[in-house]
Amino acid sequence: MIWDLYLVMPLALIFIGALFLMLFSLVQKVELANYNLVTVAFLTLSLIIELIIFQNVEHDYLFETIFAKMFIVDKLSTLFNILFLSGAILTLLINNNYFKSRDYYNGEFFALLLFSIFGMMMLAHTNELITAFISIELASITLYVLVGYNHHSLKSSEAMLKYIILGSLAGVFFILGVALVYGVVGSTYLGDIYTYLAHHQNDEMTLLIVGMMFMMVTLLFKIGAAPFHSWVVDVYIGSPFPVTMFMATTLKIAIFSILLRLFLVDFAPIYPIISEIIKAVAILTLLIGSLLAISQTQLKGMLAASSIVHVGYMLIALYAISLGSSFAASAIIFYLISYFLSAVGAFGILSFLASDEEKRHLSFDDFKGFAHERPYMAAAMTIFMLSLAGFPSTIGFLGKFYIFMSAIEAGEILLAGFGIMIAFISIYYYFKLIALMYFYPSANPKKKFPFSISTLLIVAMALMIVWGGIGTGLIPFIAGADGLLTIASEALKTIGK
Amino acid sequence: MQHLLSMILFLPLLVAFTMGIFRVSIETLRMVTFGSSLMVLLFAVVVTSYFNVEGGMQFVHNSSWISHYGINYSIGLDAISLLLLLLIALLMPLIFLAIWEEQRKGYFYNLLLLQAGISGVIMAQDLILFYLFWESMLLPIFIMIGSYGYGMRHFNAMKIIIMTVFGSMSMLLAIIYLGYTHYTTVGFWSFELSNLAQLAFDSKTSILLAGAFLLAFAIKIPLFGFHTWMAPAYSSSPTAIVVVLSAIMAKLGVYGLYRFGFTLFEIPLGFYTPYVILLCLIGIVFYSIHAIMQRDLKRIFAFSSGAHLSLITLGLFMTNIYAWSGGLYLLATHAIASAGIFLMIGMLGRRTQNIQIAHLGGIASIAPRFAFFFAFFALAITGVPGTGGFVAELLIIVGAFKYHFWVGVVAAMTMLGAILFIFWTLQRTLFGTTQEVTKHFGDLSAIEIGILTPLVIILLITGIFPSLLLDFFDASLSTNLEAFQGGVK
Repeated sequence: MIWDLYLVMPLALIFIGALFLMLFSLVQKVELANYNLVTVAFLTLSLIIELIIFQNVEHDYLFETIFAKMFIVDKLSTLFNILFLSGAILTLLINNNYFKSRDYYNGEFFALLLFSIFGMMMLAHTNELITAFISIELASITLYVLVGYNHHSLKSSEAMLKYIILGSLAGVFFILGVALVYGVVGSTYLGDIYTYLAHHQNDEMTLLIVGMMFMMVTLLFKIGAAPFHSWVVDVYIGSPFPVTMFMATTLKIAIFSILLRLFLVDFAPIYPIISEIIKAVAILTLLIGSLLAISQTQLKGMLAASSIVHVGYMLIALYAISLGSSFAASAIIFYLISYFLSAVGAFGILSFLASDEEKRHLSFDDFKGFAHERPYMAAAMTIFMLSLAGFPSTIGFLGKFYIFMSAIEAGEILLAGFGIMIAFISIYYYFKLIALMYFYPSANPKKKFPFSISTLLIVAMALMIVWGGIGTGLIPFIAGADGLLTIASEALKTIGK
Repeated sequence: MQHLLSMILFLPLLVAFTMGIFRVSIETLRMVTFGSSLMVLLFAVVVTSYFNVEGGMQFVHNSSWISHYGINYSIGLDAISLLLLLLIALLMPLIFLAIWEEQRKGYFYNLLLLQAGISGVIMAQDLILFYLFWESMLLPIFIMIGSYGYGMRHFNAMKIIIMTVFGSMSMLLAIIYLGYTHYTTVGFWSFELSNLAQLAFDSKTSILLAGAFLLAFAIKIPLFGFHTWMAPAYSSSPTAIVVVLSAIMAKLGVYGLYRFGFTLFEIPLGFYTPYVILLCLIGIVFYSIHAIMQRDLKRIFAFSSGAHLSLITLGLFMTNIYAWSGGLYLLATHAIASAGIFLMIGMLGRRTQNIQIAHLGGIASIAPRFAFFFAFFALAITGVPGTGGFVAELLIIVGAFKYHFWVGVVAAMTMLGAILFIFWTLQRTLFGTTQEVTKHFGDLSAIEIGILTPLVIILLITGIFPSLLLDFFDASLSTNLEAFQGGVK
């Protein structure tokens, strides 16, 4: 019991924090910065506990006597929780100035954000399909509200409406899929489904496979894979900067947590059926994402479209899993971490700029001469772009390297070549920004480096990306390129069947 | 001693990083970068003094980097890499002297990063490490062409990066495949060159893999057909970059072929040999004719560089001892001569703001010292007797005749073509009547002479005592060549 209480602590803290902030936000006269501080305090506390749990958890169920085996606690779920929590903390801290610069933020914003995180954390723990559905919806519904939080902006409202309609439609597929699966198997536990699949022939369970395909539709929609990508660019552009940042980093990772779990455990018996579909989706996603990214004029739009491309890379690795690649799963986790770091940094700089000046849209042209105005910020942005482009000496390169390696291990050399081709195309749109920052004279005079939490965090992110790319065991406690991979494969080992 | 190479590699990085953090003034930056480049030169000289000519790969340092995939931080030098290392170490202080008056700090930071990147490419013995440096050295070049260049600099910067990255990406795929094959056949991960060289493939795979490597290097050299980035990039680059591009970067393509191409794929490269030789021969003629047609000094010497690099590549692919030692000799002497000529074009450009040949003329009568040095470097490029280029080209041409009569004839045309366009350029630039822009042409200052003199001395020494340098890399060359020919048989 005590052990369970200890394991549930991070989740409980977030839930309590969300309720507390909900009530607290009724009190007038509280400054926004204080809400932010309280939220960050809850998140940090939870993060610390998760970090400790990561050291000594193996494979456990949360309150087995009450919930049966609905919630699983292993290193994988803990690792994902660590990512969500740090994503949320970084989002809140980096956007501290941004919140102050806009008048539509209030206490509820933070409560909603915590609820969303709670949903994601539950999703990482889930071992059962109904819980998975509830968690996905909890994370999504709060995000619908957050996307439309800027109620002065028509664009924001439009984005919310688009997201809500498409998102709920996609959600319906999941519940339909779950119903079909339950109809065949008679249980919604991942383990039971696996057992059923393993002991039956393919032609006996058409309905089950159809159900699982429906579930895949929802998951692919949520990560923004083609052909379910149409919402991504509009929603990303329409939402306020903090929400875009939050969505791009944490939500995607959350969906991957359940996708990986489903894929590694349940889908294993039907890999031959599903692998070709994943392959087609991956190729389509990479192509369409690249085309979209090239044609964007706003930086936010480019980052949104490029996030589609990054999903495509991870789908390559997912495909490699289905062909039996042994290190594709850890490659996905490494890639998620690397994308997380780079995207948080890039979006962070955008929101820093948006809070600083009245550049609401931040088109590419606004970055002309940026390097001469703010050399450190531009250097950090360059590092983020290089990492997203997969340039060596950044963590992004290693991420891509592992992905292509897993594709080659699966015997798909052409697919790896195609991925490298897409990486080559991405050089164009990422270097376009670097070129704009460095090649043009600046209209404004050089500014001093603004020391604040957000800027320091951005610089720290940039350093971490470089360290993740070249780092070794030189500094023992900071996981470099090597350590992160160890963590990822350790986490995967504890996943049970 | 163990860490000397690492110090050469990381000193510029460290300097750039510290200077950047403290945002030092331009005066300090200038002094410190110059000092660091001298330090690197000193280290390189120390390395040379401890270097054993017969010893093969030396100063080897190997420590684990990404242990999961057996990727190591593995560096080392043999005679040929040492030669390139000395070249870059020698050129950097001269470049820093040449841009002494520069007020934009970015110049210094980028050059430091570039030096580190190039040294890394030269030393790396692990393919992933090599790829890392190979790509990262592009970045400073990209930024410098785009920020400080001339003409259509934005477009040309983008062009050079897109074209060269395309080549390196194909190489990356081949590297990953090699690494994975090593894992499946030998049983453990390694990207170490010496380990990967042991692998055996069926002929089709190995030809594809060799082609992927060849593409990367052919773009960098550039061979005929892969050259479209060359002239625009040269003409858009600021002086410092154009010196590095022609003196070092282009040579790294040849070095990569020698080090990685020939070590990994002795036999499959034989499949490409006729095509590469054909491209080289076309390149020699094509670049020479183009050089004659150009109106701007930088573009003339860009194409002349292209012609000589085709000749070097030709020497490399003929795989006999004359052609190989000639090729490597030309690598060194052409680097020095072209560094000299591009430094002088930079000086000329500072004085006249114009390097169009039509606007120049009559410099010899008012600036005799400038004319002397300019003519010397230009002639050194053509390979007049007495300079190192002569010995080198002679060796390659002898090797070419040994390979095939007509190949020798076309290779010999490099000298003819070079003499044609160089003399015509000299006549139009240095002699004739003075024009509007050259009317007040100032002669070389003491510092400028100081920059150029070491290059002149080296060219003369290599021309008069060729055996000094030839003996230096003869040993490692013959072993490699024997290994290579053994592999072919």
